Amino acid sequence: MRERLPQGGRIDRSRRVAFTFNGRVYDGYHGDTLASALLAHGVRLTARSFKYHRPRGIVGYGVEEPASLVELLGADASGNEPITTVRIRDGLRAKSVNCWPSLRFDIGGVNQLFARVLPAGFYYKTFKWPDWQLFEPMIRRAAGLARAPTQPPANGHYEARHAHADVFIAGAGPAGLMAALVAGRAGKRVFLADEGTEAGGGLLTRRLRIEDRPAMEWVADAVAELAAMEHVTHLQNASVWAYREHNLMMVTERSPDHDSLLERSWRVRAGRVICATGAIERLLVFPGNDRPGVMLASAAQAYVNRWAVRPGRRAVVFTNNNSAYAVAADMQAAGIEIAAIVDARPQVPPEALAQVAGIDVLGGHVVVRTRGRMSLRSIAISPLAGGATRSIACDLLAHSGGWNPAVHLFSQSRGSLRYDETLAAFVPDIPAQATASVGAAAGLMTLPEVLTSAAATGGDVPRAHEAAYAIAPLWRVQAAGKAFLDIQNDVTVADVQLALREGYDNIEHVKRYTTGGMGIDQGKTGNINIIGTVAQQKGLTLPEVGSTTFRSPYAPVSFGAVGGLRTGEVQFPYRHTPITEWNREQGAVMYEAGARWQRPGYFPQPGESFQETVNRECGAVREAVGVYDGSPLGTFELKGRDTGRFLDFLYTNKMANLKPGHGRYGLMLTDDGLILDDGVALRLDDYRWILSTSTGHADAVNQQMEKLLQTEFPDWQVMVTAVTSQWNNATVCGPRAREVMEALGTDINLDNAAFPFMTFRDGTVAGLPTRVVRVSFTGELSYEINVAPRHMRKLWDRVMAAGAPFGIQPVGSEANHVLRVEKGFLSLGHEVDGTVDPHDLGMGWIMSAKKSDYLGKRAVALRRAADKPRRELVGLLPDDPNAQIPEGAPLTPGGRKEATEGLVTACVWSGVNNRWVALALLVNGRTRQGETVHVRLRDEVIAARVTAPVFYDPGGQRLRS
Amino acid sequence: MRYDVTCKQAGLSALFDLKGPQADLWGWAGDHLPPMPARPNSLTRRGGRSLYHIGPRHLLLRTGIAEEEALERALGPAAAPPQISIVRISDTLTFFAVTGRDADQVMAIACPLDLHPAVFGADAVSHTEAFGLKAMVLRCEGGFECAVEQSHGDMMQDYLNRALT
Repeated sequence: MRERLPQGGRIDRSRRVAFTFNGRVYDGYHGDTLASALLAHGVRLTARSFKYHRPRGIVGYGVEEPASLVELLGADASGNEPITTVRIRDGLRAKSVNCWPSLRFDIGGVNQLFARVLPAGFYYKTFKWPDWQLFEPMIRRAAGLARAPTQPPANGHYEARHAHADVFIAGAGPAGLMAALVAGRAGKRVFLADEGTEAGGGLLTRRLRIEDRPAMEWVADAVAELAAMEHVTHLQNASVWAYREHNLMMVTERSPDHDSLLERSWRVRAGRVICATGAIERLLVFPGNDRPGVMLASAAQAYVNRWAVRPGRRAVVFTNNNSAYAVAADMQAAGIEIAAIVDARPQVPPEALAQVAGIDVLGGHVVVRTRGRMSLRSIAISPLAGGATRSIACDLLAHSGGWNPAVHLFSQSRGSLRYDETLAAFVPDIPAQATASVGAAAGLMTLPEVLTSAAATGGDVPRAHEAAYAIAPLWRVQAAGKAFLDIQNDVTVADVQLALREGYDNIEHVKRYTTGGMGIDQGKTGNINIIGTVAQQKGLTLPEVGSTTFRSPYAPVSFGAVGGLRTGEVQFPYRHTPITEWNREQGAVMYEAGARWQRPGYFPQPGESFQETVNRECGAVREAVGVYDGSPLGTFELKGRDTGRFLDFLYTNKMANLKPGHGRYGLMLTDDGLILDDGVALRLDDYRWILSTSTGHADAVNQQMEKLLQTEFPDWQVMVTAVTSQWNNATVCGPRAREVMEALGTDINLDNAAFPFMTFRDGTVAGLPTRVVRVSFTGELSYEINVAPRHMRKLWDRVMAAGAPFGIQPVGSEANHVLRVEKGFLSLGHEVDGTVDPHDLGMGWIMSAKKSDYLGKRAVALRRAADKPRRELVGLLPDDPNAQIPEGAPLTPGGRKEATEGLVTACVWSGVNNRWVALALLVNGRTRQGETVHVRLRDEVIAARVTAPVFYDPGGQRLRS
Repeated sequence: MRYDVTCKQAGLSALFDLKGPQADLWGWAGDHLPPMPARPNSLTRRGGRSLYHIGPRHLLLRTGIAEEEALERALGPAAAPPQISIVRISDTLTFFAVTGRDADQVMAIACPLDLHPAVFGADAVSHTEAFGLKAMVLRCEGGFECAVEQSHGDMMQDYLNRALT
């Protein structure tokens, strides 16, 4: 560590750490970042640029780093980490991104020779018809940064957590700490989050004093005081990366307090937000400003003071503002030779000069060139007004273009910005939420101002001193050569000029066309220079050009942290019935079948194919008996004096005249007259009803009912209670279903005359309290045995035992699908596809002509009045009975490549018909029965005869038997 | 274990969903109910029964499962006047008790609601989310109770296991 200073820094010299960078082993100290540790070894070349593969080094010291991104390997696998934010630890392995075969010898560097053919808007000009697909893969491989990890972390979890606070403070620099102390002492619930590994912000890198003590002593006291407050949550290494509506703040904690936690995401809802996010130094724009060894002045100061590292031996400081003078003084104190301070301002303020006695200050000069192949060797300067150039040998150029308040979070909150001429920067103006910016984030650049603004709500302000800040903006140096505005995306002054020439003169268009301000760093160090360049080029002021939109995330966030625990099986909600475990024990193939319910698709037996399984299950229902778990069907209990007329409005057919103990099938429409759901209404007594809906649309029906009752009929007396989970059911179906019911034992008279189709009875079955409903989705005699879930597993076991002598089979949703297609029963998501009304499905009979009104009636009538051709439900029998038609396949005239005249909604192997049968929606289908239509597939055309949409028991005798 | 908590799935409680005007509810079933909670999202207790005020003209009555049949007979859902609704829903919710020193931290993972004691006191009850699922939360001895729709019980348990390991 030849560039490590013998003393100082906030590192633990007793703890050495070994790590690997680009395959070579280095060491550092606990507290080092990858950047500081490499600089301590004199490593200057750390990256290759995005487009031109130019050699790049370390530019910043924190999240603003634009040049050097690394890919972490092994257990830490992660891409595109700013080198300045990676903390070293034993065993860390990192490598530079976007270079091959090595960082020093990178083939991609040849791009620099073709820079003229890689201008701004290169992608838009290249990825065009007709040949873009030929070279796209090659360009994609050449561009880009790190590879995304292919595997999840081997160990540990992410976690997402909610929190609430009276006051949320982003940033634990002097302003944030001061604000936290004020709020904490007032008893407020405070949430303080800071992206640094320790509190202090800018104080960590500078040699300032508070109350006549080193400022970091004040920081330590403040942190200790906050830690003693139970109502204060203080997180370090936690980036506040988004400011959302209603003061919802998104925070990622990178080192949570549990070993098994990789990262923790916080969603914090706050009464008030204080943005104490400090300020970010910006680049100066001059030819060669991206060369390794050219570094932000604040970064040079940070490496010297915080990490005790010399980033160079002989330095030049280039600035347009006062802040760089303290940097020069600190570097000189650390033993770095300061060859000169080059200040673009002709008149350097005396308070700046006072800090650098003995150092050569060249006012009114600018850097016009840098030299050095892989690292800086010298620079050339000239007077700002023009004139002879002069070369200065140096291995470090520390430059400062001034400071931008970090307004990202404030701007994300939709607060407006204004341009401050004195600071030459955008500052917060009018907030849109309960938020305030304090300290440097508000444009207050000296420590006394920072502390005073943060303590605005009360409390004593500690004494501090710092030289005044003054700046003369310099948006770019007029000189030949590549001058970078956005180092991360290789955007030069020439690129912006080209974009303007090509008509992209809105700043948002310039951003998108050039990619300036995009990428990992989101232009933290360069955006304002792009705005300044546009302003100069167009002869406008910066406020007239405006700023681009600040978007989250402020700093890179891992997807894992956003997702938290939501991975694997719990990525999406799932729902189980009490039979789920039994289904799994039987080897059922389970998957989601609507509304997140996990249901058995089919129950394969050893050696059976999928089709054989489905055929067996269907055969059982058609010839003997089957049973399926119908628990996921939506169930609602309605009560009230107006329930009958409410149901009359909700359904297309009449319900109010239903007698207690009876049920009726019904269709519900949407406001625009399309089918929302089908189901059965059961009347319990004068005022109580049960509604049974489809599984998939249960929530939609619930919403529809509540919406109508709360907005259209608030005076109607109807109360809705969701009881889907109060009633599970085992549906016994098939010609021997009655025998199974008798074998189960029941006090209900099962005789068809006493208990006919579309009625229900309360009683006991198999010794359990039940409500048995005679409805059928399979077309066979069916008993839907409803019980409370606590009894469901017992009921199921008893049904299987009682049914065994009759050959009972559990039936999955695949067989159910076949059985309903054979009967021509509609299915939501198949025949009901959001475009059809009841007439289209041949169900005009269910549209009551007697009721004056019901939901969707007028919309259907209006649509029908247009008398346009409609797609109507039909059956299809392929000419080849063994030809399966894919569901969703289009029907076209003659199978030709023409506009479709319909589609196949379902196609199943029908055991009872010994052939494939299908349902389809076909233009004017009902009048075309007997015609041959054609299914157009990629490689074949299937001819099929149009039939009525029912293939089994068209009279319905079996389900009524 | 990452957190010092115990998460236990509770057995069934007797639960009745009560809807309708307060006067009518009390006129019909007042003898069987704890006092009306003073404000929405709060609860009252009496004689082993709890009454949760969880929505406009919407209450939940909870007691031990052993009392279910007797309580239903007393409440008489079928005979109740049309302006009130009484529905047995004991099976619809699965309750989990999250108790222990870090119960608030585990609940902070699950639930976006502010459960700080200053905001969500001993008599508080509210519908909210738990791990993205609709849930009802209230305090219990040493922590919180969280109820989700019964079909989501396995998923809730799954999530709790993930949060704790």
